[in-house]
Amino acid sequence: MKRYFTDIYESVSSILGGMGITLMHLIKARNDNVTLQYPEEKWPRPERNIGFDHNSYNVIRSRLHVDMDDCIGCLKCERACPVDCIKIVTEKAPVRGEDLKEIKHKGVTSNGTRKALVVTRFDIDMSECCYCNLCTYPCPEECIFMTGGPNAKKHPIDYEFSEPDRSDLIYRFAKKGAKEGLAEMNAKQEAEA
Amino acid sequence: MTVDYIFDFLTGLLGGFLGSDYLLLASMLIPCLAIFGFITVYALIVIYAELKVSSFIQDKVGPMGQGVGLHAGKWGLLQPVADALKLLLKEDIIPSSADRPLFILAPFMIFIGAFISFVAIPFGESIIVADLNIGLFYILGVGSIAVLSLILAGWASNNKWSLYGGMRSAAQIVSYEIPAGLSLIVVIMLAGTLNLQDIIKYQEGGIFNWIIFDNPFVPIAFVVYFISALAEVNRTPFDLPESESELVAGFATEYSGMRYAFFFLSEYANMFVVSAVAAAGFLGGWQSPFAGFMSTPAWGVFWMISKTGFLIFVMIWLRWTLPRLRVDQLMNVCWKVFLPLALINIFGVAIWTVVFNS
Repeated sequence: MKRYFTDIYESVSSILGGMGITLMHLIKARNDNVTLQYPEEKWPRPERNIGFDHNSYNVIRSRLHVDMDDCIGCLKCERACPVDCIKIVTEKAPVRGEDLKEIKHKGVTSNGTRKALVVTRFDIDMSECCYCNLCTYPCPEECIFMTGGPNAKKHPIDYEFSEPDRSDLIYRFAKKGAKEGLAEMNAKQEAEA
Repeated sequence: MTVDYIFDFLTGLLGGFLGSDYLLLASMLIPCLAIFGFITVYALIVIYAELKVSSFIQDKVGPMGQGVGLHAGKWGLLQPVADALKLLLKEDIIPSSADRPLFILAPFMIFIGAFISFVAIPFGESIIVADLNIGLFYILGVGSIAVLSLILAGWASNNKWSLYGGMRSAAQIVSYEIPAGLSLIVVIMLAGTLNLQDIIKYQEGGIFNWIIFDNPFVPIAFVVYFISALAEVNRTPFDLPESESELVAGFATEYSGMRYAFFFLSEYANMFVVSAVAAAGFLGGWQSPFAGFMSTPAWGVFWMISKTGFLIFVMIWLRWTLPRLRVDQLMNVCWKVFLPLALINIFGVAIWTVVFNS
């Protein structure tokens, strides 16, 4: 008989205790909630210390970027890539070292090299890229590099890499319309000749 | 009676154009449509409240919408509308081995059971569809239609899970009606009437005249009634008929789309009915808690709805606090705890009334 009443007392008190706990969570929900409204809010990028100054060394290999004005189309990065994610197609420029305004081609790089080739295709498939950084070392013009660190201004650091379509991860760096513009120019020259 | 008022009003307005048969039909349909509209709007609000309360209790934010795009509106306010639209547009599937007429009948019957209970619920001194002289008894009686329709749904689905759910609901609702009815007898003893309006009028004059503060036995009766009502409307921790971890969805396993929505809607409508009965029987119904303060008829509707709403909030709160009971624990609690308590309450209130109030 004693057991019967202690059982009732225990169940009532434990139910009230549990309801108290849930009520405290309900009241403090604004402070306690752990949900991140993802596309609008993001976790802060973790800080890390590997012994270098962040501003002088490229610690974050976020994604590849190419300065097309400096690219001479030497294909060294394509050959260096261990997973073959870089695809380059070049065509001979009509004049060496001169600007072609129709296709926004720059004749001279910032190092002073005169370009002989027009890059009509420069695709990097970032879904295949293994972030080894091997393509950046052979580049004679230092125009292909990993963003992040000192280069973060050129690409905002975006660590999610989320795209609606997988093909959106193929980055096309070649100037738009370069191939068609070049073919048009060649056809015009032939007609003149 | 409200139907008579509407009929007289319509006869005065349109008496020359239409026969009295049509006017009688119209005056019966108008309260029905009003109740149906009320249930729909109320269900949307309570579904939203349930989503938000459950999320806050679990330290989440619940349905939210920010920024541009197809979101659930500001603070997720459109989420219940989206849920209702989804259920409306879903394909209506009837299993080939199901008992077709009974399968179609079950959702209608459970909704009828919830719907006709609203007829006798007093929202204000004159805002009631039918002021029955046996209002409390009527609500308890039509509440039992739910058992029939749940067994019907479980049997007609021709599915083991559904049948288990139906049988469990039968055992549960039939058992828990006894302590619920016995604890409402305390109210009837004190007020001396079965008419809900007269019960509320008995509690006139401030918070200390409410039946729950009448004597020390009535709060126990209130708790027993509230928990038994919780079991009657199949809410957690008594949601054994549709326990999703064991029986998929119990009696509702084979239902989809609009038919499932009717089960859902009537569960929420039943929650309102039992909370309204508790509010009217124990908490003074549409009476203001302070005598003469905010006690006009419009405020009466406010007090009734807010008291009912608070009890519904407690139901939601309990749902997200307690785990589900086992079948044998359920029966133990009903027959070994609630029934003796309810009987002791009746004797206690009777003796208290004779000794102190006479």
